[in-house]
Amino acid sequence: MGSNTTEAHPIIANRMKKAAKAGLKIIVIDPRKIEMTKVAHRHLQINVGTDIALINAMIRIILKEGLFNEEFIRQFTSELEALKKLVEPYTPEFAATITGLTPEEIDLTAREYASAGKAMIAYTLGITEHHCGVNNVFDIANLALLTGHIGREGTGIMPLRGQNNVQGAGDMGCLPNQLAGAISLSNDEYRKRYEEEWQIVLNPQAGDTQTRTFDKIESGEVKALYVIGENPLMADVHMNHTKKLLENLDLLIVQDIFLTETAKMADVVLPARSWGEVDGTYTNTDRRIQRVRKAIEPHPNTKEDWEILCEISTRMNYPMNYNSSEDIWNEVRKLAWEMYGGISYRRLDQEYSIHYPCPDENHPGTFIMHERFHQSENEIQTKSTFVPVEYTPPLEMPDEEYPFMLTTGRRYESYNTHTQTRHYAAGVKIKQTEETVDIHPDDAALLGILDGEVVKVQSRRGELQVKTKVTEQVVPGLVFMSFHWSEVPTNILTLNEFDPISGTAEFKACAVKISKISA
Amino acid sequence: MSETNVVKTVCGYCGTGCGLILEVENNRIMKIRGDKDAPVNKGQTCVKGAFAYEYVHAKNRLTAPLIRKAGELVETTWEEAYQFIVEKLTSIKTNFGAKSISLFACARSTNESNYVTQKFMRTAIGSNNIDGCNRT
Repeated sequence: MGSNTTEAHPIIANRMKKAAKAGLKIIVIDPRKIEMTKVAHRHLQINVGTDIALINAMIRIILKEGLFNEEFIRQFTSELEALKKLVEPYTPEFAATITGLTPEEIDLTAREYASAGKAMIAYTLGITEHHCGVNNVFDIANLALLTGHIGREGTGIMPLRGQNNVQGAGDMGCLPNQLAGAISLSNDEYRKRYEEEWQIVLNPQAGDTQTRTFDKIESGEVKALYVIGENPLMADVHMNHTKKLLENLDLLIVQDIFLTETAKMADVVLPARSWGEVDGTYTNTDRRIQRVRKAIEPHPNTKEDWEILCEISTRMNYPMNYNSSEDIWNEVRKLAWEMYGGISYRRLDQEYSIHYPCPDENHPGTFIMHERFHQSENEIQTKSTFVPVEYTPPLEMPDEEYPFMLTTGRRYESYNTHTQTRHYAAGVKIKQTEETVDIHPDDAALLGILDGEVVKVQSRRGELQVKTKVTEQVVPGLVFMSFHWSEVPTNILTLNEFDPISGTAEFKACAVKISKISA
Repeated sequence: MSETNVVKTVCGYCGTGCGLILEVENNRIMKIRGDKDAPVNKGQTCVKGAFAYEYVHAKNRLTAPLIRKAGELVETTWEEAYQFIVEKLTSIKTNFGAKSISLFACARSTNESNYVTQKFMRTAIGSNNIDGCNRT
């Protein structure tokens, strides 16, 4: 669901395609006719942002037809009645009017998912980059709990991670609400463990997410921002607004390997080291810890991220000193031992990768999470609650003035704001060398636009010029762009709205108009 | 001819975590291939993992701290950059509280750097305003 796996996670897609050849049924749920649909058993070409209408209808069918896992629900879940009540209005016919699918497609999909021996849901930002991103995830979890498709090999919910160490950065505590080991700051016992090791009293109140930080820069409450290896000016929604906010700051520190668009606005820029120049570990999308190793000697006037932070910290009267990344990792292993205690560099060198949790050196690591769902009933401490959620449409729907829905995403050869993938090895043929707005042939014909023609794309927030790519990958009324090229800053168009719980912005839906550029 | 060093590592792009083998000559990455022993990719790579590594050697890499003087970013020393940062952060913290300082961490950096990043924010600064690009 909402994952263009072939382009964003090509190697995972290869494994999916191989499995499809061996008989795995893949159902693609995506507004675009992405490449994965070629090997799919079915493609539900859903309207942008209507996932909950689809899932609620599927839940309703599974309940009505008795396809749920009764024993699993009794033992491990609660609040089924609330879920039943909420999904009642979501008949396949009603969901069809919202999603643009047929009632039959919805019915078949529900039956197949529920009655499969093993079924897994993999999703990416097509699920989370909505104002209702958290609700989308809740509803996926409802579906998995209803059918018991969780906690066994070949089942479960698999969010595919976009960055090499998104999982690890969060797990290490680079989130406003949790410490390393992914435990809440409000957990007194756990916080105390850190307070003792760090010799400091910690604030138990969660801090601000990125989107809330932007709000607080606007209100003047946040004065200083330190940005490490990230290009928020290009990557975040509503670029003109982001730019104003960054200008508002008393202090902007950027630590990066390139003078990015964000770095150009900074008061001070610190030259960091890149992949290939550092030692350490990454945590991949399925909780594997793996070693990243230094391959070349970096420029002597650059420093590693942790080295810079230690030096600033020490100058701010909180001395931090480490000899190596292994030294740091061993502190993590000591403090968050339930997760990483057994994952030493020595073992990683021998075993290649270990899945956390791995509490001690003799523990093999945890290949499958949530196995507790298949243990005996009396071992279960807490039940998992169904969280019923209502469908809410995208916050800016196309209208007469802005008749197209713009959805954004990634392309195969480029990576995020493209500061790195601009530098391909010599001789590599790149297919997409500049941004395009991908538009359906019918819409292009109506507007009198030819493939490759430069057009103007406008939203209520900004406008830009971009080449068109006429393609049946999108449906009429829908256009697609990526945010890889600073020459065509797509996020000038996107909407400054975000999920109230996660703070993730609605990158996937906003209204635009497209017009010819008069000669 | 200098000899080729072979370094086993993990790709730095998406979250799949493919094992790679880097061939290094004269301190330059010459070639990248998939590591057949890697549990995730078993020798495969995508176009980014295999070929998009020249950025490491790019001429426009930052090699000195920059500081804004009279509106322009100009090269400076680490010591001057640190002094500026420490003075500014300390004064903002004193006048407006630790809450007025936020940090965006890097989901491309190592676990070790990320651990130190959050430790820095929660100790030296005393603020939990730390988040990553997890949401984009």
